[in-house]
Amino acid sequence: MTSIVSGSTRMSLFLQVLLIFALMPVTQALRAQTLVVIVNPSIGVQHLSRREALDIFLGRYRTFPSGASALPIDLDINSDERKQFYLMLAKKDPADMSSYWARLTFSGKISPPFAVADGHMAVDIVANNPNAIAYVDRSSVDNRVRIALEITP
Amino acid sequence: MRSLLNRTTRWLYARIRSSIVTRTTLAIVALSLILGLSFASFVATSVENREQKRGELVLQQLLSTIERTAQIACYLKDRTLAAEIAQGLMRNRAVSGVSILSGGASLAEVGNTTLTAKSRINNSVIARPIFSPFDGSEKVGELSLFVDRAAIHAEAASDSRASTLAMGIQAALVAVGVAIAVYLFSTRPMKGISTELHRMRIESGARLRVPATNRYDEIGTLVTDVNALIASLEGLLTTERELRIAHEIGERKLRLIVEKAETGLFVMDERGVLESWNPAFVRLLQLTPEQLPQSGITPLQQLLGPHSTRLSQLLSQCLNTGQPYDLDLDMAPAGSPRPMWIEVTLNPIGPTALQGVVNDITDRKQTELSAQELASQDTLTGLLNRRGLDARLGAMFLAPLPDSVSQLALLQIDLDRFKEVNDGHGHESGDRVLRHVARILERNVRRGDLIARPGGDEFVIVLAGISDRSKAEEIASAIIAEIERPIDIGGHHVLIGASVGIAFAAREGDSPEGLARRADFAMYAAKRAGRGRVCLAPEPEPAQTDAVA
Repeated sequence: MTSIVSGSTRMSLFLQVLLIFALMPVTQALRAQTLVVIVNPSIGVQHLSRREALDIFLGRYRTFPSGASALPIDLDINSDERKQFYLMLAKKDPADMSSYWARLTFSGKISPPFAVADGHMAVDIVANNPNAIAYVDRSSVDNRVRIALEITP
Repeated sequence: MRSLLNRTTRWLYARIRSSIVTRTTLAIVALSLILGLSFASFVATSVENREQKRGELVLQQLLSTIERTAQIACYLKDRTLAAEIAQGLMRNRAVSGVSILSGGASLAEVGNTTLTAKSRINNSVIARPIFSPFDGSEKVGELSLFVDRAAIHAEAASDSRASTLAMGIQAALVAVGVAIAVYLFSTRPMKGISTELHRMRIESGARLRVPATNRYDEIGTLVTDVNALIASLEGLLTTERELRIAHEIGERKLRLIVEKAETGLFVMDERGVLESWNPAFVRLLQLTPEQLPQSGITPLQQLLGPHSTRLSQLLSQCLNTGQPYDLDLDMAPAGSPRPMWIEVTLNPIGPTALQGVVNDITDRKQTELSAQELASQDTLTGLLNRRGLDARLGAMFLAPLPDSVSQLALLQIDLDRFKEVNDGHGHESGDRVLRHVARILERNVRRGDLIARPGGDEFVIVLAGISDRSKAEEIASAIIAEIERPIDIGGHHVLIGASVGIAFAAREGDSPEGLARRADFAMYAAKRAGRGRVCLAPEPEPAQTDAVA
């Protein structure tokens, strides 16, 4: 957005303002995408609270509330979904998250979740691994997985 | 040991009393010590307080620093991380123990984490709740820091000691510096000047040297002023010496004048005791070497013999009035044919001192006496006149021997028929008769008896030393007989007669006037009885003397 403005230096201020307003719906649309936390239906987890989900992804617990072990799957570190997920659930930006994991690397006990390239890959893993848990855009979800939590801003 | 201390104290006291340098240095050192100590103690307290606060602040900051990691450790119940944190905290000397709890379980516990009643005094716990790093409202654990206050205290105290020591060294250096500066700039030049002044002899012409470094400051001014004082003092001394010499010369001259003076000079006190005199005084008073007075002992009265009473009177007169008085004294020794008169003048020069002058007035006195004699003589007959008679008769009565008074006889002689001679032959004849009678009287009395012609044709004879009353009568009768003989007045002969009254002086209470009056009375009685005869006055009753008169 900034680059557009700086790239149109010859535009009048009026036009610049207009453009900003014109682009706003696009941003809204981006935000509007809905993230969901998915689990394998076989694990028997019907619903997860935001905290339960977060505790699994941050390494606090490696089990579902039911006691079954949990295997969190992260999305690519640069993906928009991953950024949104932690921003909404833990209120931490990617830098904070990196710092968090960095502190834990030397203790060796807890390591960050395994990351996959995109949502489809994540859905595949969850579909095939009963202990897996992941977050994806709602649009990527198919009936092989169960939505345990819907993350709304 | 004790005596050494005493000796040192005494030596120090002596130094303090006698040396400005020591006193000043000691004062500066003492002041620095007192100020340094009080300031250091204040600084020590404040530094210690500050250090203690800082120690606690450091701990708080330390906690803040590890808080995020602690949050994560508690959140994850990560014992390794918690232990790491605890070890890290333990590196701080003030931390005696660390305990990290999470969900009721201990994640890490290092060092001494128990608080007994005893250790509570010196130790305290800084406990901090640890919240979830992702949810500020979820408490995930608690971190307790056991603080060793003694360590903080010790650290603070050591810091304080260091700064106190620094300050003490600084104070000591300043004190030494000030002492050296005061010594160099003030006390040393002062001491130099003081020593120089102490050794200086006035009148040697020496002056204090102005120290080169102090030429323009207060010490320079002081030295200049002292030099000016010395100069003026020398001037004064010189003037005084000259004055003294001049005075001595003057005094010597004066003494010479006094010594050589013809006038006797002396000084005495209010009692008459002589203090000093000159040779003329000794000469005029005709003092023999044995009689020479002793200063401060001999009174003048002692030297004047019979005149001492009169001198005492003169002395008190002088002192009472404050005026000078003089006195003529007959100093002719008894039996000496040469008369000797002196005049003593007393001049009071204070309540207890008198100055006296003695002059030889013999010449003047003789002139005076002959003049007096002239005045007391009847020019016609050469006998005493009335004044002469009164004076001499008075003197006889005043004579110191009353016995001779009782032996006085007064003959009152009145010529009979003299008026006829005077009227018939003139005054010159009368004068010749009177001179003739005078010679008759002179022939019939002894030397020392008085013969007077008080006036006209009356004569008086005073016979002294009459032991026998009839002797007076005999003399009177002889005189009458001689007067009745014819008198040659140049070719003529005249006949006159005389009537005589005799009175004898009473043994007591008599007076010249009373004696003369009684003789006169007797003379009239003789005239009344028929002239040419002698009448004796009756002896006066002592109590009736005045009544008879």
